[in-house]
Amino acid sequence: MSETEVGAGQEIISVPEEFALRDEVRWLKSEDRDLFSFIRESMNKIEPVYVSTYPPSECGIATFCRDVASSVAKYTPFSKPTIVAIKREHEIESYERVVRFQILKEDRQSYLNAAKFINESSLDIVSIQHEFGIYGGPDGEYLLDMLEALEKPSVATLHTVLQRPSPNQKRIVQEMGRLCDILQVMVKTGRNILLDVYDIDPAKITIIPHGVPNVHRVSAAKVKKALGIADRSIISTFGLINRGKGLEHVIQAMPKILEKHPNALYLVLGETHPGVRKHEGESYRNTLTEIISDLGIEDNVRFNNRFLSLNELVRYLCATDVYVTPYLSKDQICSGTLAYALGCGKAIVSTPYLYAEEVLADGRGLLIDFESPDSIAESVIRILDDKALKESLENNAYAYGRRAAWFNVAISYLDLFDRLLRRSGVVKEEPA
Amino acid sequence: MEMDLLISVRNDGNVPIIDLSGEVDAYTSARFREVMVDLIESGAASLIVSMMKVEYIDSSGLGALVGGLKRSTERGGRIVIVCDNPQIRKVFEITGLEKVFPLYDVEADAVRVLAKSCK
Repeated sequence: MSETEVGAGQEIISVPEEFALRDEVRWLKSEDRDLFSFIRESMNKIEPVYVSTYPPSECGIATFCRDVASSVAKYTPFSKPTIVAIKREHEIESYERVVRFQILKEDRQSYLNAAKFINESSLDIVSIQHEFGIYGGPDGEYLLDMLEALEKPSVATLHTVLQRPSPNQKRIVQEMGRLCDILQVMVKTGRNILLDVYDIDPAKITIIPHGVPNVHRVSAAKVKKALGIADRSIISTFGLINRGKGLEHVIQAMPKILEKHPNALYLVLGETHPGVRKHEGESYRNTLTEIISDLGIEDNVRFNNRFLSLNELVRYLCATDVYVTPYLSKDQICSGTLAYALGCGKAIVSTPYLYAEEVLADGRGLLIDFESPDSIAESVIRILDDKALKESLENNAYAYGRRAAWFNVAISYLDLFDRLLRRSGVVKEEPA
Repeated sequence: MEMDLLISVRNDGNVPIIDLSGEVDAYTSARFREVMVDLIESGAASLIVSMMKVEYIDSSGLGALVGGLKRSTERGGRIVIVCDNPQIRKVFEITGLEKVFPLYDVEADAVRVLAKSCK
């Protein structure tokens, strides 16, 4: 099984950097000091600090945090983002300079030190990325120590909202609801669960969608040609690989798909999750390889076993005919990979986990049964056979994705930060 | 379905009006900036930018406006914006750039204000 190679496709599409406001304002400093001063006095200054895992840690939340922080910073040229990064004690991470403090995951004192660092700094609002596993203590409860000690307004972005939490998990989320000014979720379902299961004050819940890259659409045929897969129908899944992804079900669906579309190619883009690799090595991927071999479909499934850059990812997504998230957990309330596929305007097939159920409603995707290769095959074939259906799914997904482009999502975060700062009196209301 | 930026220029008295339609973002803002620079270098000090049909603007679009403003102020002019889309107005309000680029709901008001300041 060969790995797909990124070749000339690089020329076809790349996501442009969006730093112009910062650059233009910086240039003014040397070229037109009066205008620079006027703009500096006029523009709002918000100095957020983000508490999260952070790249180079290979983790979806780390990537998310970097995307939020850099997107927001593009609108605030007079303030820099600050990151408080969560890391394991034995790890040495070569962080960017925005990381100004590190919390050692299992060191409880470290959380109090982080709160002290934030309280004594000029930082004015705290944005916390939350998933139980990224913080120390049972279910990540050490985070509560930091929240208890914080003296600045805070927003927690919840990446996991369990419908059936353990008593300790429930207690932690409820405490976060008490200690944070806002709990932010990415879909309405998350809000409903917070209300129904955790009794969170509705005034404390805000919905901001998962951001997606700003991708203008290009012809899939062009990108396919550049990637050397011109004559293939591309089905793909990307992201860090682990057993919960259910990739074996797509692989098992392939023979049925190949009966109708013998040129179909399933691309599995992404490496094994580093945490999973540490415990079980590549055993899941090896299992998948065995299934492929048993089915004799080596020419129709390819792995790209790397952490892909944004541009590589976007190229593969643009070349994709059907994007599949065959995930196994009904409770999943957020998926960065599905959000990205929407942003690229793809025809999507997914199991009905909570996030997918909501974002793929209203003709934005097809839902399939959990653990059902037959259901996957049926939906993929439907899309490949029906051009009008494919186009309609793509257009609806793209329209949704535009609203969730990072530049729009950044404005929602800024708006939220601004409202909290006004409420807490950090920003004074201007007289009417 | 492809979202792009349409740019056209018309004149209302002494002030050129740039009509934008679509998305002013990292893909399209360079073109918008060029149009502003060309107009200013051809002698227009002030500009009206009509964003009535703009769907989205990102920080690149705001940067293009700041670049245009620099050239405009060098000639004693200013840039005002016409827009009644709350989403677009929010971008200016939340960044504070509404204090740098005056916003008008109605084009006639923008024309009147610039005409007054030209006198």
